[in-house]
Amino acid sequence: MKKKIVLSTLFASSLFAGAEIDTIKQDLETQKELINKLNVKLKNLEQKSTNRSASFSQNAYLPDIALILNMSVQSRNLSNDDYEKVAMPGFIDSGKIHLPFNKNRGFNFNYAEVAMHSVVDPYFEAFANFHLHPDEFEIGEAYIQTTALPYSLRVKAGKFKSSFGRINNKHQHSWNFDSQPLIYKGLFAPDAISDAGIQLQWIAPTDTYIMFGTEAMQGTNGRSFGNSSENNLYIAYLKSSIDMGEDLSVLAGLSYAHGKNSSSNATDIYGIDITFREQLGSYSALVWQNEYLQRDKELATTTDKQAGLYSELIYQYNNSYSFGARYDLITKNDTDLSTYSGVDTENLERYTAKIDYHPFPMSRLRLSYTYDKSKVIAGERKDINEVMLTLNIAAGAHGAHDY
Amino acid sequence: MKKILPLLLLSTLAFASLKIETTYSTFGAITKKIGGDLVHVHVLASAKYDPHFIVPKPSLLSKLRRADLLIINGGGLELGWLPPLIRNANNANIQNGAKGFLDISHFIPMIDVPTSVSRGFGDVHAEGNPHYTTDPHMVPLIAKVIEGKLETLDSDNALKYEKNLENFLLEWKEYLTQLDLKMSACKDKKVVQYHELFNYFLKRYNYKSYGNIEPLPGIAPSSKHTIAIINTIKKNSIKLLLQDVYHEKKTAKFIASKTDAQVLLIPHDMGADGSKTLQEYYKNIANKICR
Repeated sequence: MKKKIVLSTLFASSLFAGAEIDTIKQDLETQKELINKLNVKLKNLEQKSTNRSASFSQNAYLPDIALILNMSVQSRNLSNDDYEKVAMPGFIDSGKIHLPFNKNRGFNFNYAEVAMHSVVDPYFEAFANFHLHPDEFEIGEAYIQTTALPYSLRVKAGKFKSSFGRINNKHQHSWNFDSQPLIYKGLFAPDAISDAGIQLQWIAPTDTYIMFGTEAMQGTNGRSFGNSSENNLYIAYLKSSIDMGEDLSVLAGLSYAHGKNSSSNATDIYGIDITFREQLGSYSALVWQNEYLQRDKELATTTDKQAGLYSELIYQYNNSYSFGARYDLITKNDTDLSTYSGVDTENLERYTAKIDYHPFPMSRLRLSYTYDKSKVIAGERKDINEVMLTLNIAAGAHGAHDY
Repeated sequence: MKKILPLLLLSTLAFASLKIETTYSTFGAITKKIGGDLVHVHVLASAKYDPHFIVPKPSLLSKLRRADLLIINGGGLELGWLPPLIRNANNANIQNGAKGFLDISHFIPMIDVPTSVSRGFGDVHAEGNPHYTTDPHMVPLIAKVIEGKLETLDSDNALKYEKNLENFLLEWKEYLTQLDLKMSACKDKKVVQYHELFNYFLKRYNYKSYGNIEPLPGIAPSSKHTIAIINTIKKNSIKLLLQDVYHEKKTAKFIASKTDAQVLLIPHDMGADGSKTLQEYYKNIANKICR
């Protein structure tokens, strides 16, 4: 009995084994076929990819490049020759005014600017801004900036616009008005504080945004500094911002610059600014921006004390239209005004109004009116009226602007 | 001052959890689901505004400064506002390419990828339509990507993140079954949109979009184009006009008054219509488009 069972189980198992071998053989065949198919596919793909690749192409590393064009047409109650001779008492002497933008009655081509940005490596990014006037080439800015420093630190080095004040580091094409505020023009000229130097910024580890920055610069700006025997300009600023509810944000800053206007005489500039921005919708906002600057400039025997402010209100109606008004005032002018004897040098002020039209975010038409009561020409106070239409284009890969 | 400083340090130590910033609120909600109590999530953009045009408020810098992880939509949606914030936040963790920078679009099969790109066509995104979060079926994919990143950054808690993901995926699967069932009952599949915000949702549920109220992406409606849209709506007897919460609504209302179409206010992101949860957000879209 036992034998029978053993035998029959043996027989059965060998029968099963025979069937199993067959299935395994079949499986193997299918697998082989599959592998062959995959091999062919792989070969094809490999061929395709080798045919396609350009082994040393660097196209993917091209920097972001943008072209910025700025031009205008304008009318002014002053001939071009006279306009070049205007003075701003105590700040700009006759013949010393620097007019790189919108100088002429009629047509002006102000500049073509090539702006570039690129990540250099995991530690640096680079920016450059080549400013081409019709008959002048200028490196507006060219600097590197760190991206990987610890402790919320960032270092910038190269030629750059100082972050002093609210608008010093903004390029002309991103100004809210085509002209510089009077006090900026009086103290720094259109390029503002722009120098070779180094900057360190730090964001405090607080819930509220507090940023502290310090800069050491060459100090070539002749209006306020300009001692050429050595680097002479040191800048520090503190900026903070709070939100009042979801839609109202406030940004305020304190700035200080200490430089030398000659080997023995110092210049100190103090700035305070505050900006309110109320967001009225995705494309609509009300911005009220104010800034006050004061300069103490040591001379051989005296110290000039001068100050001024501007206040501007911008109403962005939608993504096409925005309206703006600005008031400029020189509040203090304790300096030698003897060359203006007999001329009224009080109440230097200016009114500016504008309408912006953006057919698309990259293009802008701006109609502005300026009533300037801060200028003297040929020994006489002269009020200047200006109506101007400017066209600004930012084509290509142009990065978004700061707040 | 001497007393305040140690206190400040203590308070930062007390929150040893991962600090995560997301650009939009749908990502914020998914991240909370996966991270649970182990993460602190903050959303940068308010859902009531156009996601392309968020104001880069300096207060956002103090949030980004301390972030361990920044989760973005990508596909060019944040191009107009986020780069200056990243640049000025002085935080090495969240730089493009760093470990704490996560672009979800890299994991999404993008649709509407243009064959040629020019600003002559308006504000088109070279990488394709970036509004993929409107499709509720993208949520599990996004959740998985975020879970993977959290595991990398905080490997000690990997098991917890895995568990949270598992639970969430189960919950979401059940939710999607119901949502799909509801959507499958809808017969009217013809729509016109203001901007191509809902293409992923429409594609998922086999809707057909016949045109946009804006003539080109980012360009305000023109009367000529509006008349053309009115004719399209009449010709194809379209009933559904999909309007987002942040664009002007006059044009859509005008079109509706001239046709049989009805203006439907559709949220583009969680919270745009006051929705508090992901479930509520997608349900609201479904309820509006399909009834």
